[in-house]
Amino acid sequence: MTAVEFDAPAGLTGRGAGVPLSRWAAQWGTAVLRLLRSTLFVGIPVVLIATIITYGLGALTDTNPAAQVLGETATPADIDRMNHYFGLDRPLVVQYLSWLGHALTGDLGRSYYTTLPVTDSISQALPVNLSITVLAVLIAVLLGGALGIGAALSGGGWFDRAVTLLCSAASTVPPFVIGIGLIVLFSVTVPILPSGGYVSFTEDPGQWLRFAILPAIALAVEGAVAIARQLRTSLVGELRENYVTGADVRGLTKLRVVFGHALRNAAGPAITVLGYSIPQIIGAMVVAEAVFNLPGLGKLSLDAAGKGDIPVIQGVLVTMIGLVVVSNLLVNAALLRLTPHARRQQP
Amino acid sequence: MTENARGPLRRALRLRSTKIALVILAVVAFFGFAGGALAPHDPLAQDTGHLLAGPSGAHWLGTDYLGRDVLSRLMDATGRSVVGAVEAVAVAFLLGVPAGLGSVFFGRLFEWVAQRITDAVMTLPYIVFAIAVTGIIGNGQKQAMLAIGVFLAPLFFRVTRAAALTLTRAQYVEIAELLGASRWWIIRHHVWSKVFPTVAVTTAQMSAIVLLSVSSLTFLGIGVKPPAPTWGGMLASDLGFLAQQPWAPLFPALAIMLSAGMLNAIADAIRDTTGVATIPLGRSRFRRPAVTIPAQEKIIPAQEKRSHA
Repeated sequence: MTAVEFDAPAGLTGRGAGVPLSRWAAQWGTAVLRLLRSTLFVGIPVVLIATIITYGLGALTDTNPAAQVLGETATPADIDRMNHYFGLDRPLVVQYLSWLGHALTGDLGRSYYTTLPVTDSISQALPVNLSITVLAVLIAVLLGGALGIGAALSGGGWFDRAVTLLCSAASTVPPFVIGIGLIVLFSVTVPILPSGGYVSFTEDPGQWLRFAILPAIALAVEGAVAIARQLRTSLVGELRENYVTGADVRGLTKLRVVFGHALRNAAGPAITVLGYSIPQIIGAMVVAEAVFNLPGLGKLSLDAAGKGDIPVIQGVLVTMIGLVVVSNLLVNAALLRLTPHARRQQP
Repeated sequence: MTENARGPLRRALRLRSTKIALVILAVVAFFGFAGGALAPHDPLAQDTGHLLAGPSGAHWLGTDYLGRDVLSRLMDATGRSVVGAVEAVAVAFLLGVPAGLGSVFFGRLFEWVAQRITDAVMTLPYIVFAIAVTGIIGNGQKQAMLAIGVFLAPLFFRVTRAAALTLTRAQYVEIAELLGASRWWIIRHHVWSKVFPTVAVTTAQMSAIVLLSVSSLTFLGIGVKPPAPTWGGMLASDLGFLAQQPWAPLFPALAIMLSAGMLNAIADAIRDTTGVATIPLGRSRFRRPAVTIPAQEKIIPAQEKRSHA
């Protein structure tokens, strides 16, 4: 949007007039440091805690993976050989540390069943999750933004009440039920979109969109509701502020007052809510994969869980946590870029 | 529980919306206990003459792809869905609430450890974690609900902690400390009654969240194995026959939405009558103020205070 150039707040376009370069750099420096520190403080413990829990649980159960994988006809010698091949005859702590060491270099071990590298299976499935998650986040932001801004501007009018009602109803529907509803509407009643399956984006973007749009909408609803609610609340608050009255008095159009002034200040809480929605979307994607028959990480982990293929389960879990940590980092970075006061906070 | 805690709840109970919600939830609970016995048909019996049949006198809500009576399956499924949700909420409550109170009243080390674990756990996509847990220790309801409970405990932790933090500076708490009361006595007599409405709202909200999570997991076949009917499992089997029965998912979906919606209505009612905070969305840590302001300083005019700084 070009309307922003007129007295845009210093935070968006860079260093504002009158802010000395040294202070500006120092603010950005501490802000970025704070971001990295919080990522390390949350990201590393969560990977450690989750993997230790899954490793520990494996040790608590008396099932022997080798005996389970090889079946009833396996001789003790076969089981010993497999245990040795996968390093399962070593103490648990050694197993865990060696797994962790290899994981740091991108090697997540091999599947008990196919002996294929877990990293390969994951890198095949990951693009499905990434592309549909990005589309879902995009839809959530656009839909939630439009509903939230519309509701705030209508301020108690029929549109506002309709959005509130819609949000209350939508929050009781799990994403996979929305997915089933979308299939009924767009694949059965009006058969214009496929009910399941997948074509990769690099192969054919048009076909990809046809397969990806329904799962993405189903995943986006929860986030859109959260964003709409938060944006409505904070935008209604901002529109009562003096600077909005001031901009009105200066004769700016309503459009410019809302989008150039009030929205930027109201966006902060909505972005925080978005930060909470992204992990939910990543998690709900597992269920959406089952509804729309997508070959993603969820299908990989469900198949592995059914067979007790622990290296694959661990690998998917670590990948998912990685996705969530990276998305948190991106959201925090966006928050930093958009809202100046988030930058000025003391660490 | 003292009179303080019960008063606001009783006010919430007088609202019409709460009464309606409670009646509907009581019906759900009734079907949860007796649904399997009351069902007109055996939920697993297959009527092969009527596959995917529409509603009729014999089968009020029709039959599924194996000719099983949908109404009977719906009634029989209620118990599994409700018991699962109660188990998960109980686990989350028992882990989260004591830890939340403890983080305020039992020292910095406890506080730090609890905060780090909470931050870490909240980052996990819990459906994936529940799949991992059941994949490793076996696919059963206890295991799945334990996983959900552990990973929703941080919400209880944060809400309880936030509510309790506001009380640490209350004068009657300070007086009780000066008079030599033990922490347990203070928590039992002063803190719990104030924290209780908040915890009640959270419990209702969490029950709705958990109900949706449980239906997602049973949809995936995690926690309860087919053919035992669950609301989520019924939706999963309907999915294959949408072309023949596009209306079939409506019944289990309505059961889920109605139960979750009524729990939300109760949470709203308690919140409106008591004015307590809900589950916080932001990643705020509810830090204690680093410096406590002595009581006298509060009466110094604002201008004078600014000159000190």
